[in-house]
Amino acid sequence: MKQSPEESAMLDNFGPSKFSGDGFLGTDQRTPQEIVIDDTLELERAGMVASVIGRSLGVFFDRVRQAMGAPVEIMPGVTASYHESRGVIPSPFRGEGAFEKGEVAVSGLPGFGDVILTRLSIHLIERHGFFQGRGQRYRIEPAAALMLTRASGR
Amino acid sequence: MAGIQWVNILISVGFLVAMGLALTLLLVIAEKKILNYGDCEIDINGGKKKLTVRGGSSLLSTLSDNSIFIPSACGGRGTCSYCKVAVSAGGGILGPIERPSLTDDEIARGVRLSCQVKVRSDVAISIPDEIFSVRRFRATVVHKKPLTHDILELRLRLVEPPVIDFTAGQYIQLESREYRGREAVNRAYSMSSIPSDTGHVELIIRRVPEGICTTWIFDILQEGEEVSLSGPYGEFRLTDIPAPAIFIAGGSGMAPIWAMLRKMRESKDPRPAWYFFGALTQRDLFFVEELRKLEGELGNFTFIPALSNEPPDTPWEGERGLITDVVRRRVPDLANREAYLCGSPGMIDACVRTLVELGVAREHIYFDKFA
Repeated sequence: MKQSPEESAMLDNFGPSKFSGDGFLGTDQRTPQEIVIDDTLELERAGMVASVIGRSLGVFFDRVRQAMGAPVEIMPGVTASYHESRGVIPSPFRGEGAFEKGEVAVSGLPGFGDVILTRLSIHLIERHGFFQGRGQRYRIEPAAALMLTRASGR
Repeated sequence: MAGIQWVNILISVGFLVAMGLALTLLLVIAEKKILNYGDCEIDINGGKKKLTVRGGSSLLSTLSDNSIFIPSACGGRGTCSYCKVAVSAGGGILGPIERPSLTDDEIARGVRLSCQVKVRSDVAISIPDEIFSVRRFRATVVHKKPLTHDILELRLRLVEPPVIDFTAGQYIQLESREYRGREAVNRAYSMSSIPSDTGHVELIIRRVPEGICTTWIFDILQEGEEVSLSGPYGEFRLTDIPAPAIFIAGGSGMAPIWAMLRKMRESKDPRPAWYFFGALTQRDLFFVEELRKLEGELGNFTFIPALSNEPPDTPWEGERGLITDVVRRRVPDLANREAYLCGSPGMIDACVRTLVELGVAREHIYFDKFA
C-alpha cells in the first residue's frame, strides 16, 4: 500500500525512538491503522467501544496509583501495583503532548498474565482506539482491557 | 543492446543525482540569501544578558551554541516538553506542536517550547538564573553500588570541567550511549551527593523495566568508563527559613533529600526535621544505618521508615501503612512547618493533600515531581 508523506512521517513516530526503545508496534507487521481496525472490530463483537474502555482504565489507573506502590487486589488472585518512573513520554501522534511515565502492572489476569498500563497507553486507547502492536510490552489485548474494565468496576 | 541499456540507465541515474545536488545547492543558497534573518538579539531576563546571534535556528539550539543549556530530552523535536522558556517578545505564533505541552496559565505567561521557537528577529526571554551556571561535563564512573534489588548508587568523578557548583536538591541530565539498537538519550537524575564534594556527582537510580537509560546504566555502563552529563538544573532546594522541616520520599526519590540532610549536617543546621521514607518492604529500604547515625549527628532529626506491603508475620517493628497515613499518625499538627517531597506525581499529589489537611501552608510545600 502506498503511503502519503504525512503517513510515512507519522509511521516514523511509531518506531523505536529516544523515548520508546521498542517503538509502539513491537513485532507486529501491521500498520497502526490496521491494528486499530482489527482491535475495534474485536471490541465491537463484544459490544464495547475503545473510548469507554480508555476512560474506565483511566479511573482504574488513578485508583492503583493512589496506593503508591502497594498492591491493590482487583479480583481473587489478580493484583495491580504502581511503579514510579521519572520523566514523560510523548504520544506518537504529534501534537498531543507528553504523558507521565509511571506504570500500573497487573499480574495474573486470567488468560493474559501480566498487563502493563501507562497514562500514554490509556490515552492511545481512549483517543485513537490504538492498543499498540503485538510483541510490545505495553500492548493490551482488547479482551484483556475489557476484562480489566469489568473487574475493576466491581 | 544490453550495453546501451546500461549506459542509458547510468546516464539517467547520473542526471537525477546531478539534479538532486543542484536543487540542494539552490536551497542552501536560497536559505542564506532569501531567508537571511541577519543578526538578532536575544535579551535574557530583562537585559541581564544579551546575545547577538545569527537568526534562523531554534531558540534552544541558539542558546545551546552560546553555552546556555536549557534541559531537553528529545533533541528538539517538540515532544519531551522540557525546554520551556518564557518568551515576552519576538517568539512568533504558538505552534500546534507546542499547544498540548502547555497549560493555559503557561500560555498566558508566554511560555513556549524553545525548540519550536525560531529566532527570526530580536527575542526577549526569561529563564531561571540557575540556567546560566549549567555546564556540560565529562566524568568517569567511580562505582555502581547496589543499594537494593532495583536501585543503585552511581558515583561519578568529574573530569572536564573538574568541579561542579550546585545546591542540594538540584538534578543533572545524564547522556546514555547507543546500545543494542537503542538511541542515545538524556535523562534527568537528582544529585544525592553533598555540594561541598565539588569533584563528584552521586545519583540514586532505580531500574525502569525496558527503560533506555537505566538499562544502559545497570547492564552496559562499566566502572572506569567515561560519561557525559549537563547541569545543575532545578529549583528544588532547602529554604533559608529555619522552620521545622518534613521530608517525604522513597526509592530513587531519596536522592535530593539525602543531599539536603547531609548538607544540613555539614552546615550544623539546627532546624528540627523528620524524614519519612516510604517503601514497600524491608528489601526496598537503604541507607537505614546512615540515616540512624544522622539522627545522632543532627541532634533534632527523626528518621521514620514506613513499609506499605511488609508481610504481617515479619519481625519489622517500624511503621506500617501508606506514607500519608504514617505522617498523619506521627506528626498530627504540622502548622508552621515546611515540607520537601520527591517522587512520582501520584505520591506527591497524595502527600500535598495530606500535608495541607494537617496544616502546612501550600506555599511551604516544595517538591520535585517525577514528571
